[in-house]
Amino acid sequence: MSSAPSWEDIERLYHEVLELPVSEREALLTAVDPALREEVESLLEADSSEELLSSPPASIAADLLDAHPGGLTAGERVADYQVESLISIGGMGEVYLAHDTAGRPVALKILRRHLIVSVQAVDRFETEARAAAALRHPNIVTVYESGRSAAGLFIAMEWLDGSTFRAIMDAGDVTIAQAIDWGGQAARALAAAHDAGILHRDIKPENIMLVREGVVKILDFGLARHGAPASPEPISMGSSGTISGTLSGTLMYMPPEILRGETATRASDVFSLGVLLYELTAGRHPFAGETPLDVFEAIECRPVASAGSVRSGVPEQVDRLILRMLDREQSARPSANEVSDLLREI
Amino acid sequence: MDESPQGEVTLLLAAWRDGDPDALNKIMPLVYAELHRIARRTWSQQAQNNTLQPTALINEAYLKLANAESTSFKDRCHFFAVACSAMRQILVNHAKSRLTEKRGGARAHVSLDEVQPVHQEAAEIVALHEALEALQAVDPRKSRLVELRYFGGLSIEETAEVMGVSVRTVNRDWRLARSWLIRQMNRESS
Repeated sequence: MSSAPSWEDIERLYHEVLELPVSEREALLTAVDPALREEVESLLEADSSEELLSSPPASIAADLLDAHPGGLTAGERVADYQVESLISIGGMGEVYLAHDTAGRPVALKILRRHLIVSVQAVDRFETEARAAAALRHPNIVTVYESGRSAAGLFIAMEWLDGSTFRAIMDAGDVTIAQAIDWGGQAARALAAAHDAGILHRDIKPENIMLVREGVVKILDFGLARHGAPASPEPISMGSSGTISGTLSGTLMYMPPEILRGETATRASDVFSLGVLLYELTAGRHPFAGETPLDVFEAIECRPVASAGSVRSGVPEQVDRLILRMLDREQSARPSANEVSDLLREI
Repeated sequence: MDESPQGEVTLLLAAWRDGDPDALNKIMPLVYAELHRIARRTWSQQAQNNTLQPTALINEAYLKLANAESTSFKDRCHFFAVACSAMRQILVNHAKSRLTEKRGGARAHVSLDEVQPVHQEAAEIVALHEALEALQAVDPRKSRLVELRYFGGLSIEETAEVMGVSVRTVNRDWRLARSWLIRQMNRESS
């Protein structure tokens, strides 16, 4: 009686046969169990057939990149929006400048179909859309609409004409008065979100823009879920239409509890804002390091030199406030509301 | 302005190694975005007449994302493995949407000659992807090998390096895996 041959037996015989001269193969095959023989013979037949798998799928790869050089082309429609130009290709998809039916410019963020590999990816995108749409605040980018279209999931939001904090800091010195004003606006936005029960989870200079008349706008609410770096996305839109923003940015603004793998809290957002406020005020990053590991170590245990010791003219209250925001103990950090109030008083 | 995202990738690789199933989802968009950037530049430099080899893209994406000098050999291997998986997902998803378009007639204005080779390959990729899932159940190592070799376009030597096996093993496994997959695809289509 012959049972189903094992994969090990098939594998062994297959290679044994291939090592023999063609004239001797038949003899070996007739000597084995018929079921095993049939398995191996059908594999040998496939071995000699076809060109399949002989080269990588280059033409489909080229087609993919050709079909989505930036995805949508000018004039294409996504729901009620008409695409004008590609602004950035980022972590979760693409961002376009588009117009609504009234001709108003909007930023259109798209998660493309071929990037949707899991329920989690869709969840993350929709969570972001919902969280952001629930917030109405002068210092938070306004989300108009989100939904599904032929091109993929989309979020339509307020078009911002300005620069990211990253671009501004790269460009040169920020005055202490500006740092206090901008930091205060960002704190008010964060306080409003926290009051509504929404965390940002990824506060960094790439996610905050300064638009005309000195108004600060926070982008990308609710992106990351468990404090993991889920927003590797250079979504920031500069006035020149260029993009600034980095992936490595995220780590530099993470509080120690997130690095330890704990869940983000309101105090985590406050810490990240504290890093940003320090950077704006002192003109350098509190945890600068050569490698990600250096930064890791600095965030977890290096003592922070007060902003006032790095740059003269920093008001003492601001100096103390920033150090409290950067406290490694979450409970010792002030709330976003408190930060907002204190900065307003100065 | 265009800083290296290596910190992000290092964290994601660590998460992936620790068994976070969502890490691949997070790495994939990075690989994808990087592929685009590289492809756009390659095209503007060479204008026409170039075939895009997945392996060249992955290699370059790797150099850009993972900072080869400060990354360990082990992390390099991990990166290739993840990038090849990402490449497989991206190509299979794209192939599927191409096939859906054909049925839906969304590209009816394009002449058939232009579309045919791509559709043939698209159908082949989807069939192969499914056969590969069946192989995964029989022999996970060989399934992974095909992912690296075919979807990632890695050479025999590179595949051996990433998998931590000898070149001889890769050669033998590749030949049997290929036979098995061809047989499987023939059975499915008949």
